[in-house]
Amino acid sequence: MILHLNHVRRDAAAAVTSDAVAALVSLLEEGILDPGQYARLRVHLDWIQYRHNFREPVAITRTEQEAEGGASTLELRIDARQIAPGTLRDLVRSAMAGLDTPRDMPEEGTRAAERVYLEDFRTFRTSIAWDFNRLYWHRLKDWESATGRGYEQALPGGKSDANHPAAIADSVADFWTLLRDLESQNQLPPELFTLEIGVGLGTRAGLWLDRFHALDQQRGTNYFPRLRFLLCDYSQATLERSRPAVHQYIDQCSFIVLDALDPNKTLSFLRHKVLHAHLTNVYDNLPDEEMVRRDGRLYWVQVRSYLPAVDASRIAAESQIGAAEIASIVSRLLEVGPEVLADRCRGIRFWQDVWAAIRLEERLVDVENLRDPSFPEGIDYGQIEEMLRDAPSDIRFHLSSGALQSFRNTLPLLHPRGYLQVQDIFVTGLSDYRMGFYGPGKLDGSIVNWVNGVLLREVAERAGYDLHFAPFHYRPGSKTSVLYTTRRE
Amino acid sequence: MTLPILPTTVVGSYSMPGWLERLKTEYFARRISRHDLDEIHDSVVKAAIKDQEIAGIDIVTDGELRRDNMIDYFVERIPGVQIDRSSKKFYYDFYDSEVLGRLPMASLGLVPDFQFLRANTELATKFCVTGPHSLSKRIRNKHYPSEQAFAADLARVMNLELKELVKAGGNFIQIDEPYYSGFPEDLSWGVDVLNTLVEGVQAKIAVHLCYGNRYGKPSWEGSYRYLFPRILDAKVQQLTMEFARRGGEDLDLFREFPSQFELGVGVIDVKTQEVETPDIVAERIRKTLEFLPAERLYILPDCGCVHLPRPVAFAKLKAMVEGARIVRKELGN
Repeated sequence: MILHLNHVRRDAAAAVTSDAVAALVSLLEEGILDPGQYARLRVHLDWIQYRHNFREPVAITRTEQEAEGGASTLELRIDARQIAPGTLRDLVRSAMAGLDTPRDMPEEGTRAAERVYLEDFRTFRTSIAWDFNRLYWHRLKDWESATGRGYEQALPGGKSDANHPAAIADSVADFWTLLRDLESQNQLPPELFTLEIGVGLGTRAGLWLDRFHALDQQRGTNYFPRLRFLLCDYSQATLERSRPAVHQYIDQCSFIVLDALDPNKTLSFLRHKVLHAHLTNVYDNLPDEEMVRRDGRLYWVQVRSYLPAVDASRIAAESQIGAAEIASIVSRLLEVGPEVLADRCRGIRFWQDVWAAIRLEERLVDVENLRDPSFPEGIDYGQIEEMLRDAPSDIRFHLSSGALQSFRNTLPLLHPRGYLQVQDIFVTGLSDYRMGFYGPGKLDGSIVNWVNGVLLREVAERAGYDLHFAPFHYRPGSKTSVLYTTRRE
Repeated sequence: MTLPILPTTVVGSYSMPGWLERLKTEYFARRISRHDLDEIHDSVVKAAIKDQEIAGIDIVTDGELRRDNMIDYFVERIPGVQIDRSSKKFYYDFYDSEVLGRLPMASLGLVPDFQFLRANTELATKFCVTGPHSLSKRIRNKHYPSEQAFAADLARVMNLELKELVKAGGNFIQIDEPYYSGFPEDLSWGVDVLNTLVEGVQAKIAVHLCYGNRYGKPSWEGSYRYLFPRILDAKVQQLTMEFARRGGEDLDLFREFPSQFELGVGVIDVKTQEVETPDIVAERIRKTLEFLPAERLYILPDCGCVHLPRPVAFAKLKAMVEGARIVRKELGN
């Protein structure tokens, strides 16, 4: 047995480790765990960063070969934060029992009575979890009015790093320097396009424009009248909320609804014209999926969402719907919103309760056994192998499909001297994944996930850019990094 | 070999498959041998020639698939240039290279690659050579008193190679000088260097002037106005230029500065995977005909197709050929 201690929950680490080992040894002695399984067991303690996440307190997964008769690995993952004292042994035992569930006939297995499945196994990026995420942003006002707090208040620091004045001042200074360089080479374009995707309340845009305007006046460069600032978001409602923040400069601002996954589709008329593109906390909220490498083999993490049966029954009773209907009503909720129930308030509560209860079951599928592995746009198996060449031999990592897609589809907009700047939570070295797994977590009604910066760097190099990650030093203790591109010669 | 009016050709490179990129990189990691890589190159060059033939191109190249990039293929061959071979991680990266002394006069060994092209097609051919100005921007000069002096000596050495290509049957040579657009202030001496390069070379000479295509994106932006009137002193027959992506505004320069140059007009945008229709191509050719007679036009993409996926590159070339046919028909040919 290999024990992997991630030490996320430092205070209780020793006690939980001791409990976990004692529980597993006792299960072995009682014959519930056989010596072969015990030998192939990898235990990950406190493996996931976020307190609010999609996982059971104890989950066990096996790699696919076991079902085919091979000797595969068993993975036991324990999230100690969710475990009540004295319950760990029973939870492990219960999870072990779930292993007896036939892989393709879950409805006949032990777990069937305990879970209400909402979808079949699939790669995470296509899970309905992301439909919940989409619903949250489209119906943000409904959610906020029910909780009584704005989404920025749900952020770890209670406010967004996007709006930090010193960070904005540095961003403006960099941009101004670029303009001055272009001007000195007689290459300053007549219109200076800058772009922010995911504008939120427009606070950053307003502060950025204030600062740039002041700097331009102070230095007498007269760039400001040529500036064209594009505020982009995938929600018209959000864009409307951002307008007051930039009202002083409204003639130079455009408000554009676009899909962050493909800015180039909407803005193709600006191909090779954008001098500066900025995103804050967008990539961490785009569809993602995960892979695992164990004993030299690469596995795709497939998930299916479910509600624990006990939660499903409770929610059904509180929402005054039949327990058997819950899966179909969730499906309709994601299509039409909280109006799915006749009483809208009850519909919002139903939405929030389901979201709080929803979990992901997972299985590890050998990539080589998949007929069509369907890698995210812009990356292939060869590049992943290349990325993993110097990585730890056993690793679980994000593919960051949505972030990759967005990144690749933003680069074509950049002017030859233009640059992209992204403030977000990045994993910048694959060995960092040995410290634990960074998400996904639940943040109010949305999903938050770390972004695989190493993979982005790999893709960027092939697209002609070097990527750099700088710590967000403006707020002590911030987990944010600032990604910026430079042109690769 | 008789060419039709509005002959179609390519700027040089053809689509580089991802698997070939990986194999080239494997070679640098010493995981496959030079011999194996040479065999692979022979096969892909034949395939690139065949694709051009099937697409209906009138003047074909070898697709430049042996080349890691437009610089290193020459840097490795120019005698006297020192290379740090550990400086490449990915095949497309540029070598760190420098010149420490006067370049000796010796062959670059380009002729066998040209002969391979000739042996594998019945069609007219073109061979492309990166020009001394662009090379001087990537090789660190630690010997010559100026960049101009270095580029002039590169031209002296390379002139011999161009003559060797002509002896081997080459009758159409394209000099690639994209770096003019990034360093327009160099043009004053760049044209002299170009003239040194082509002096006494008995072939049709084109000079390719674009805004860069490194990683499939432009390296600079601006207007071709910087070329005029100095470029009129170039002793070449043809300018090939990027107009599809940038639009045809700069075509007006050919009216403002009359010359006898042929124009290789870029009618295919190689920096997008969107495939043009033949009608769009035809419209771009018609637009050019407002400024230059058909007898002085060659039809080609904006730049090399190296960064396009093969199906896209092939479809774009087919659309280009079809667009040219539409206009030929309108002209009664």
